[in-house]
Amino acid sequence: MRYNLQVLAQYVRQSFLEWNAGRSFTFTLVVQAVVPPLIGLAVWTRALPGQDLITLYYAVLLFARLLTVSYEHHTFSSRIYSGNLIDDLLRPHPVILAPLGVNLAVRLWHVAMGLPLILVVGMLIPVRPELGSLLLASPALLLAAALQFLFTYGLALTAFWTEKAFGVVGIGQTLIFLLGGEAFPAWLAPSALKPAMNLLPFRYMLGFPAEIAAGQVTGSALLVGYGVQLAWVGLMGLAVAAIWRSGVRRYTAVGG
Amino acid sequence: MHIISAKDLSMTYRVPVRGEGLRASLRALVRPEFRRVEAVRQISFEIGEGEVVGFIGPNGAGKTTTLKILSGILHPTGGQAAVLGHTPGQREGDFLRQIAMIRGSRPISAPIEITVLDALRFQQAIYRVPEDRFRMNLAELEELLNLGPLLDRQIRALSLGERMRAGLAWSLLYRPRVLFLDEPTLGLDVVAVTMMRRFVADYAAATGATIMLTSHYMADVEQLCPRIILIDQGKLAYDGSLSGLAQRLTPYKLVKVSTDIDYRGDWERLGEVVSCEAGRTVLRVPREDVREIVARLLADKGVSDLGVEEPPLELVISQAYQEGVGV
Repeated sequence: MRYNLQVLAQYVRQSFLEWNAGRSFTFTLVVQAVVPPLIGLAVWTRALPGQDLITLYYAVLLFARLLTVSYEHHTFSSRIYSGNLIDDLLRPHPVILAPLGVNLAVRLWHVAMGLPLILVVGMLIPVRPELGSLLLASPALLLAAALQFLFTYGLALTAFWTEKAFGVVGIGQTLIFLLGGEAFPAWLAPSALKPAMNLLPFRYMLGFPAEIAAGQVTGSALLVGYGVQLAWVGLMGLAVAAIWRSGVRRYTAVGG
Repeated sequence: MHIISAKDLSMTYRVPVRGEGLRASLRALVRPEFRRVEAVRQISFEIGEGEVVGFIGPNGAGKTTTLKILSGILHPTGGQAAVLGHTPGQREGDFLRQIAMIRGSRPISAPIEITVLDALRFQQAIYRVPEDRFRMNLAELEELLNLGPLLDRQIRALSLGERMRAGLAWSLLYRPRVLFLDEPTLGLDVVAVTMMRRFVADYAAATGATIMLTSHYMADVEQLCPRIILIDQGKLAYDGSLSGLAQRLTPYKLVKVSTDIDYRGDWERLGEVVSCEAGRTVLRVPREDVREIVARLLADKGVSDLGVEEPPLELVISQAYQEGVGV
């Protein structure tokens, strides 16, 4: 375990250095990441004037968006396509540590580059978030980051079978946008859609921590939400392990 | 002790095939057809500790597939492979820490944006090389590969030859006991090729590492490998010394004769004339007749220089690829 953490730290360090060299490209990714929450903020503050919680919600969502970005369909799928996965298979540690390290480094860059924007939006928030709510939201934010990585990584692994992993991940990201709380907060969702949003994993990848910070999820709903989120992390982890085993079996059978 | 062993190793791929046109394309959607490709067919060999073996064959012979099986990247569809007592396909950490695979097409697999030293530090952590060992190995590699000027440079800015030097350091920093070299001199200039060959020979001598090398450049094989394994169409065609292969395939030697005066003898009676110009003649002589022919030539006062050579290796291998070894 200690060795794996050390290896992970090495991948984060290495990827951080690598993405540092491509800062301008990283910046374009940050811009793409922040646009949807900002649009949501603009639309909903205009549609529902006076609802200060909307602003708070989208400010936290903006941070969550930067902290949960996942590009494994670019970073990892391309290794499968190019045959460079061989290099990962030859290393004496679990392969997932490499894409996870890249993911964490990319997220660090996103948060670092997005910080000025987050501060500006934070200053515009008419209400101060409660410290208790922010603390309650923190674990949900970390779980959302884990869940979104597992989800994107799992979809990116379809590169073992198809040349179109990018499209598969694209569908997943559209679902996160629609049902994850970016297009509209869960509490403003049509009533027919709410049960699905509560049950499906997408809300727990993005909007759930922002809802907690905005004080929209409390009491038993909070416990149930955390329960569902944890369950999805577990299920997604199992699914990813199964997809990886199957994919690598295919890869090692046909040589990529 | 055998470090690498392959017993009846086989690898069969199933590749999709279909006829031309829209109808065949639509039919393949509901009823896909496949063809079996036997990349490796029941090959067996054993390689002892410290051996440097050339693994050669024409394109598509199954060389890289075999190397991938032995390094754990591919699972064989038949037979068994063992490397250092491990089954490669299980990819155990202890196994992977003792092997390295260097591909000429991609000598270093670190991100190209980082510096060579950063890449080496990364390897140090991944392969748990203690700091004192790291410094010692790095100093040695720096000297052997003239690595010093490259350490603070980004990998992306290195030439192909420099990348190969950095890649060798990157792969050998943790002192692997088994080295798989897949076309290591691919695309390198003559200086880099010479450095590469000298380095591999030095590394093998210094560490006692077991090395399997594939290359289309016969000079690589000739200079580095006392033993060669030749495979063709997935089957083992020859396993032995290079000179043994030459003897088997080419039952003649080349006798090169320089004469001071116009030799009036009948060249055709001595052997097949390959070339004859400006006082220098090359004869193709059956191996069993070489001694007698040489004696006759030396007895002749007009001979100023004489040499006996094996036929060019490229020719031998080319003949083996085209006609088979005829085991």
